[in-house]
Amino acid sequence: MSSSNVWTRSRARMRLLSELLAQCSGEAAAYGKCVASTNTGKQELTKNMCVKEFEVLKICFQSAAKKGVK
Amino acid sequence: MLPFPRARSGPLLRSVRCLSSRQGGAMNVFDRSMKRKQKQWASSLLDSDKYDYLRDEAGSRVADRVYDVSRTFPLALDVGCGKSHVAEHLSKVEPKCEIPGHCVLADEEFLPFKENTFDLVLSSMSLHWINDLPGALRQIYQVLKPDGVFIGAMVGGETLYELRCSLQLAELEREGGFAPHISPYTAVTDLGNLLGRAGFNMLTVDIDEVQVNYPGMLEVMSDLQGMGESNCAWTRKSLLHRDTILAAAAIYKEMYGNEDGSVPATFQILYMIGWKPHESQAKPAKRGSANVSFANLSKISKLQTVHQKTNEKP
Repeated sequence: MSSSNVWTRSRARMRLLSELLAQCSGEAAAYGKCVASTNTGKQELTKNMCVKEFEVLKICFQSAAKKGVK
Repeated sequence: MLPFPRARSGPLLRSVRCLSSRQGGAMNVFDRSMKRKQKQWASSLLDSDKYDYLRDEAGSRVADRVYDVSRTFPLALDVGCGKSHVAEHLSKVEPKCEIPGHCVLADEEFLPFKENTFDLVLSSMSLHWINDLPGALRQIYQVLKPDGVFIGAMVGGETLYELRCSLQLAELEREGGFAPHISPYTAVTDLGNLLGRAGFNMLTVDIDEVQVNYPGMLEVMSDLQGMGESNCAWTRKSLLHRDTILAAAAIYKEMYGNEDGSVPATFQILYMIGWKPHESQAKPAKRGSANVSFANLSKISKLQTVHQKTNEKP
């Protein structure tokens, strides 16, 4: 298919996502540990329990994406 | 509205396919027309061979089981054959044998064949999208000849539990609730019941766990899409937020990742063999007809040599 539609564009973005995530492995590991620890602990996982770690991950991810585009 | 169950420490909530307790009414879990479209899209991909590895592996193991049965089968049916992975492996063992085949486009839930037609029915990796599994198994039973055998493989049990758990946790943490993204699978324990209810006897059910390593969660999802295994349950959410995807990928890597950075995805393949009853099949012995006692179990080697000696005597 030579046409560029929303599905081909979003699929192209998804392929980039995994590469960008590899650049933020430290932040991703921190967020993953936070969620995993709440799962095994006594408290139940509620919304935004690990929001701090997630914000750090998101900022790292967005800066990696900005660098990637250029 | 998303359901808001809470995640407990320990096994996460997951949906399980229960035996349908409603009389007559079948479960309607999957959107079959959507599944047809997804499979057509997957087969129209230019590099669709890349995604065949799982079906190929399951097909080779089903072909092994067919060869384990010491019988010839003049006429066989492969339900949900896809690219005929099983037939390919069957013809590999005997290089000179050509298995002539004929493809019919049909629905697994409405088999267009007369009763008592086939000696062997195979099914590899397609039963997990059937809505009315008891009904489909009953139809397979009907098209089999007496003393015919059904050999099948389907994904079930704890398949893709890593993906399911990562998405659940991510959605809980990011959005406050979660929707099912992985389709419900049949448990091993239910499979024996299902086959028994359809009328098969001499059942054999076993599990094989295939673990495939991927670079990350997104590669798992794109491979599943390429295989034509995207979600098509009626209750599926059509949207996965960007943040949730990011969170789930991070959780997947942290909770389940291997040392070399790859992540595993588990496929539990359930293999089942069932026979249509026939007088020639062995029946369970009558109660009270035992002539050896369990107390003699420790002396079983002596019993065997005595048996051999009595057989060698002219």
